[in-house]
Amino acid sequence: MDIKQQHILQVNNLDVFYGNFQAVKDVSFHVMQGEIFGLLGPNGAGKTSTLSAIEGLIKQQSGTVTVAGYDTLQKPLYARAAMGVQLQSTSFQPELNVSEILQLYSSIYGLGLSKEKLQVLLKEINLADAENKKFGQLSGGQQQRVSLAITTIHDPRLVLLDEPTSGLDPQSRRQLWSRIENIREKGNGVVLTTHSMEEAEAVCDRISIIDHGRIIATGTPQSLIDKHRADPEVIAVSRRGKITLEDVFIALTGTAIRA
Amino acid sequence: MAALLKADYITLWRNRRANMLALLMPLIIVFSWKGLIPRTGGAFVLANGITLGIIAIGLMGYANAVARDRDKGVFQRLRVSPLPLWTIMVSRLLVQLSLISLLTIVVFVSGYQLDHIVMPVSGYVTAFFVSLIGGALYLSLGQAVVGGIKNPETVNSTSRLIYLVFIMTGMLGQFDYFGEEFKKAVVWSPYGTVKEILATGLEPAKWSAHTTQALLVTIGYTIVFATLGIKWFKWSSK
Repeated sequence: MDIKQQHILQVNNLDVFYGNFQAVKDVSFHVMQGEIFGLLGPNGAGKTSTLSAIEGLIKQQSGTVTVAGYDTLQKPLYARAAMGVQLQSTSFQPELNVSEILQLYSSIYGLGLSKEKLQVLLKEINLADAENKKFGQLSGGQQQRVSLAITTIHDPRLVLLDEPTSGLDPQSRRQLWSRIENIREKGNGVVLTTHSMEEAEAVCDRISIIDHGRIIATGTPQSLIDKHRADPEVIAVSRRGKITLEDVFIALTGTAIRA
Repeated sequence: MAALLKADYITLWRNRRANMLALLMPLIIVFSWKGLIPRTGGAFVLANGITLGIIAIGLMGYANAVARDRDKGVFQRLRVSPLPLWTIMVSRLLVQLSLISLLTIVVFVSGYQLDHIVMPVSGYVTAFFVSLIGGALYLSLGQAVVGGIKNPETVNSTSRLIYLVFIMTGMLGQFDYFGEEFKKAVVWSPYGTVKEILATGLEPAKWSAHTTQALLVTIGYTIVFATLGIKWFKWSSK
């Protein structure tokens, strides 16, 4: 198989501006089938702007994004049909209950969701008792499960998750990672952003570290650790005697707290 | 589109208490202006009632719902799905136009029940369709408000203020309270043109060049407000 065909996502020379401010600078990366790719960076580094450009929420000034072979500017609906997106803060019509939300989004993706299938889906996400609850009445973990169920309801080739574990308890986080593993096992690609270096190290096959809009390092977590383990900056910030991905991350992006 | 429409109708139904309030003002007009009927005619009372109702739906109902959902991120979630963007708004507008249709019928029925106002069948039919044109004007004005203002609380207060201004100037201006010049200005205001086409629509035999001009001005307002509303609109309040 041609290597290009294995790329679920291809981002080339992406530039994103907000007015005169350039949030994303010449960013390029790709995601393969069955790969979990992490986009890591401090606050305001350009992670969400990069994801937003891939999702079509903002328009890039230059560069191309291809999802499952579809250019996001030339074939936006095909590209969006091939991806499932979980936004950083997402919400659904507050008047709709869980089953109505699931039915709405399954219909949007052209899927029939019979009552039996709906019950199976609700059981899968441990929300069989909450089908008539409004989204706003659910706990954070339950909301996250509904959101992820909708993100993956159409079995998308590419799943984009913006800080998916933020605010979750360890049990919910563990369950989420289990679902993300399932997505990977089906051969679909996953792109996620997270501030948890431990999670990135444990879950991601490859990562890119982005700062000030530019990708400054890409590789497997272990390869990045190995590459930078002897750097004086990494050794200086290391606290545990053992070099971790967090040490490399802080050494590369600096210790200053970002807004 | 069908799925979105279904969801938007469910939303409309779940907000039925708030929507009943939009029907309340027209019913108060129909009930309290009974004494004016011998002087102004039944069409005048019905037209004012419907006009106030569609202002409430377009300005306060539609604009506030859009501002709230935008702030919560509902639109962003829909935008990352494979839906053409226009379907998101068209679905909402169709639901609001349904509510305007319901309002018009309720005013017709209450006018008959409370005030014994009877119009020719052709008048009811014409006024029904004209109310949709008038509704489009106020929905486009609501779109302009929510396009120009991001904060949902500010949208809420602005739409209430505009509603109040329209009630005060529209209703009182046509009764000579503010003088002849003001009365003339009100005739060509969004309130005045919609009320004119509705009142004459209820009595098609009285349709005149002035009514046609009012219809054209109404359509003109709609185009201007819709253009501004679409141009200014941002899908996210962030």
